[in-house]
Amino acid sequence: MAEISFPLPDLGEGLIEATVLDWLVEPGQQVERNQAIVELETTKSALELPSPQAGKVVRIHGAPGDTINVGEPLIVFEVPDDTAGIVGTVPKDEAPKRRVRLSAVLDED
Amino acid sequence: MSETITAAPGIETAAAGVRQMSMQQALNRALDEILAENPKSVIFGEDCGRLGGVFRITDGLQAKHGEARVFDTPLAESGILGMSVGLAMAGFHPIPEVQFDGFAYPAINQIVCQIARMNYRSRGTLPMPITLRVPSFGGIRAPEHHGESLEALFAHVPGLKVVSPSTPHDAYHLLKYAASRPDPVIFMEPKSRYWQKGPVDVTNPLPGTAAHDGDADNSGSLTGARVAREGRHLTLVAWGAMVSRCLQVAELAAEDGIDVEVLDLRWLKPIDAEALATSVGKTRRAVVVHEAPLTSGLGAEVAQLITQSCFATLKAPVERVTGFDVPYPSGDLEDEYIPNIDRILFGIQRVLEYRRG
Repeated sequence: MAEISFPLPDLGEGLIEATVLDWLVEPGQQVERNQAIVELETTKSALELPSPQAGKVVRIHGAPGDTINVGEPLIVFEVPDDTAGIVGTVPKDEAPKRRVRLSAVLDED
Repeated sequence: MSETITAAPGIETAAAGVRQMSMQQALNRALDEILAENPKSVIFGEDCGRLGGVFRITDGLQAKHGEARVFDTPLAESGILGMSVGLAMAGFHPIPEVQFDGFAYPAINQIVCQIARMNYRSRGTLPMPITLRVPSFGGIRAPEHHGESLEALFAHVPGLKVVSPSTPHDAYHLLKYAASRPDPVIFMEPKSRYWQKGPVDVTNPLPGTAAHDGDADNSGSLTGARVAREGRHLTLVAWGAMVSRCLQVAELAAEDGIDVEVLDLRWLKPIDAEALATSVGKTRRAVVVHEAPLTSGLGAEVAQLITQSCFATLKAPVERVTGFDVPYPSGDLEDEYIPNIDRILFGIQRVLEYRRG
């Protein structure tokens, strides 16, 4: 297993910090990519931050009311070694789905 | 602190020499063996060394073979490929990696103007035995430039060979074969297939057959296309990640009574025209599937080769089911862009219902 730390991004244009309103996930929890993980407030707006990736939450930084600087650690994920560091997500094997049916009269000449 | 990381060993199965491996593990093993067998081979690229590659293809190789053989480069693809030219001129056998296919664009000058034509330019005195590994195609929901389908671009350049495996077995054998060639080979790895496991027979490139006469290691079976599934009514031609999707489509078509052959082209330059002629000569119908945009895609080349050899017996014009004529989109739009099962079935239906006149 490998740990991946996600730092607080600039949530606007030139913002330098954000305040934690509420964490929506907790350590030990498995999260999916784009799942809302934390509510943050900046000088411009309040927003829910989507998870940048799938993985297990190892640590979260900042309690409600705490201010975090852009670039400082926000959340740390644990991911399997064979997915650590890749850009994107490992595709799942899904059963094939279809809507189109074929119809043909085959003349076997 | 030094930590040695090696790819998890494949699981031994009953058949001698056959192991279950992911394509990641198969490629890693092939590279490990190439380094061990050819002292002139060197592997380098962004994060290839200490990290073992963003897809873990070079995992553990630096620790095993040393920093002189497996090393990291700056974030500069023109430098990675430019250095490959110099190394090849000095007698090395470079195996560079561009981390994602979209990052090949900054190195097009080195690939097209130097690597592809140095042998020609030097009248054969400066061959370029370079195997350029390119994690290719979409399917992992990556951002822009991290999923492309550049085979037509590379195939159009005289002096380059282009190959793309679709299974762990082919990945292992085709990479070893490519690295043994005196010519530059663009090795397009279907990144969405890296994690899928399959049987790898390291002793025989063509499982289920004895070695050909006069071809002790059966390597002659690595130069052309591969029939991935036999069928009577129609041939699906594909490569890379689209092969597994076409195999799914073939199973669904069988439910409707249509017996589909799937031809895994493997080599995209040169294309195995004989295999196309043999397959479509039998089925008399063909659909070619690729992720790249339609216009000037490799599907046009395939369609022409089929028409050339099978014109008199074709039941319908060769259909193409491809990506759209737009930039390869980032992850969220991939499902709309990459040919899906229904689009391929529609293509098959168009061929089936075609009537002359």
